[in-house]
Amino acid sequence: MMTFRTTVSAFTLTAAAAIGVAGAALPAFANDKLVELSNSEENWPMTGKTYKAQNYSKAKQINVENVKDLKPAWAFSTGVLHGHEGTPLVIGDKMYVHGAFPNPTFALDLNEPGKILWQHKPKQAPTARAVACCDVVNRGLAYWPGEGKTPALILKTQLDGHIVALNAETGEEFWKMENSDIKVGSTLTIAPYVVKDVVLVGSSGAELGVRGYVTAYDVKTGAQKWRAYATGPDEDIKLAKDFNLANPHYGQKGLGTNKTWEGDAWKIGGGTNWGWYAFDPDTNLFYYGSGNPAPWNETMRPGDNKWTMTIWGRDIDTGEAKFGYQKTPHDEWDYAGVNVMMLSEQKDKTGKLRKLLTHPDRNGIVYTLDRTDGTLVSADKLDDTVNWVKQVDLKTGIPIRDPEFATRMDHKATEICPSAMGYHNQGHDSYDPEKQRFFMGINHICMDWEPFMLPYRAGQFFVGATLWMYPGPKGDRQNFEGLGQIKSYDAINNKYDWEKMERFAVWGGTLATAGDLVFYGTLDGFLKARNSKTGDLVWKYRLPSGVIGHPMTYTHKGTQYVAIYYGVGGWPGVGLVFDLNDPTAGLGAVGAFKNLANYTQMGGGVQVFSLNGKNPYDDVNVGEWTGKQGG
Amino acid sequence: MSTMSRFASVAAAAALTVAFAAAPALAYDGTNCKEPGVCWEPKPNYPAKDKITGSKYDPKHDPKQVVKQADSIKDMEARNKKRSDNFAKTGKFEYDVSKIAN
Repeated sequence: MMTFRTTVSAFTLTAAAAIGVAGAALPAFANDKLVELSNSEENWPMTGKTYKAQNYSKAKQINVENVKDLKPAWAFSTGVLHGHEGTPLVIGDKMYVHGAFPNPTFALDLNEPGKILWQHKPKQAPTARAVACCDVVNRGLAYWPGEGKTPALILKTQLDGHIVALNAETGEEFWKMENSDIKVGSTLTIAPYVVKDVVLVGSSGAELGVRGYVTAYDVKTGAQKWRAYATGPDEDIKLAKDFNLANPHYGQKGLGTNKTWEGDAWKIGGGTNWGWYAFDPDTNLFYYGSGNPAPWNETMRPGDNKWTMTIWGRDIDTGEAKFGYQKTPHDEWDYAGVNVMMLSEQKDKTGKLRKLLTHPDRNGIVYTLDRTDGTLVSADKLDDTVNWVKQVDLKTGIPIRDPEFATRMDHKATEICPSAMGYHNQGHDSYDPEKQRFFMGINHICMDWEPFMLPYRAGQFFVGATLWMYPGPKGDRQNFEGLGQIKSYDAINNKYDWEKMERFAVWGGTLATAGDLVFYGTLDGFLKARNSKTGDLVWKYRLPSGVIGHPMTYTHKGTQYVAIYYGVGGWPGVGLVFDLNDPTAGLGAVGAFKNLANYTQMGGGVQVFSLNGKNPYDDVNVGEWTGKQGG
Repeated sequence: MSTMSRFASVAAAAALTVAFAAAPALAYDGTNCKEPGVCWEPKPNYPAKDKITGSKYDPKHDPKQVVKQADSIKDMEARNKKRSDNFAKTGKFEYDVSKIAN
């Protein structure tokens, strides 16, 4: 194993050096062009900004000293309500904005943001809305820089299951494919992800018994390159010959069917992936997590239910999995394991420099793995109130469960922490490589849970549990506030530098900058900035509606801007957006967030900030109508 | 959590530790593996994996319902292949497969 690792790291170094040289000379592939774009502070060309998915910017024009002068520069309404997740993309002079269902896309001119360069408004079957479990959200767009005859493309997913490529200059549809079928309850909310010349598309619908899969399409033609499932026979799951070779105790071959499932239950076994991706050009692996098994009623699906709830490292060219670590064997709490993957290089406790992946999971554990082979480096509780698990044994990888907080038929379990909403959900967090700290938006919600039997009918909900959710032990259970936290985490020394409570769950994620700032939006309608060294609140601004996306930043013509979507919704907002009152409705979220409507209402748009609000319209004549041309 | 239940949980944990040393686990805690990656156990008084069929917790899955997803994916993949093949051949994208010549 030692020899193997040494070989890998030696190869990695050589490859990295080669890429560095090639990048400086001329980009050979579109992929390299995307890397180059992402390293500039003028662009934000993918979710997470770079393939490391750190949501980190080296820009420090806005910093902890002057952030008090941060003011709104301009804003744009998407014209749709419901949850606005994700973040806009910026490439050069253009900002690409996406909205909730029916998933409009807008290209704005950064020199004159009042001008909509093009808009794409798809016609979708309204029935798609009926099979969306948790509001009609969408997590973002992807960009491919173009090559040869193929123009630069914006890639988007639609709730109705389509993946669409748009000409980035004109907004015209370039190609459009069917990835998911709403008739069987399968929808799309995930952002596409471009690596080399392929676009990755995930899946949604575990609450309707959808068996999860990830698909790679040729970005130029839309042709399917490969598709890998989360459950079933090894050939469907696409396991590499050396799958989990470095960690055979994680399990290897033949576990996707009857060894960890009963009968054909794996065919409706969930494991969808609707979170985020990261990619390492050196390992050629992309990283993501598969979601929860179906149904939520654990008694109906005995077994470990592999490979749901798994951290995957898959080869981008073949789709084959090099490693898979199942975080929550036989899920009993809907801890869908799809959360953000953030890559870093840090020295471990023995002083060895390692290539790492850090992942705060729904189950209340933040996992750090060696991203070359999947070896566990650390697995710490997001908060000391996590109780379903006593600890994760780093040697075996096994979570040691506390049977008191298990769920089962004919039993109402109480006081389980985290709740199904997790101590961390879909928010895309950040990592500051200088400080070597992760800034995580955390939930503080616990629950009671009682399963019930139900049949599977394709296209209908297949949940089978009633939930009551409420603030965790550190919150205010009388007034239903204190449902969130934000923390600075050190993955190597297993400690938190600072922790702050929030009124509501910090659902949207965070952005870190070299200006010693952490930005994040809140459900009660603020963009906030904290000192990333101390956690002190240094600035905030009242937005039109609550936030469930993550902030981004870019520099345009020498001015640094911070942008964020507003538009409350998502799972925490279902009570508000669908006007529900039963505390167990909305899969239990209505009760937990019954106070949200006292702080915000629906909205939908992007708000952009800069120091003193500097913006293209400081010259009042910019964008004015100057009369008929030639008239 | 009340003091009583906290006490109960500590007592239960202590009992478990003792049980582990002597006999198989009394309650499913995930640590008792049949083989690598296969660590599920039935909870006390709940059916084993191969005994759920016919028990009161039998999910009674209808094979006609269970196969619908695979059929749907097969059909979508076939339509997409027509679309991408046609796009590669003609340089013009057509979504409506009925307008694509075979």
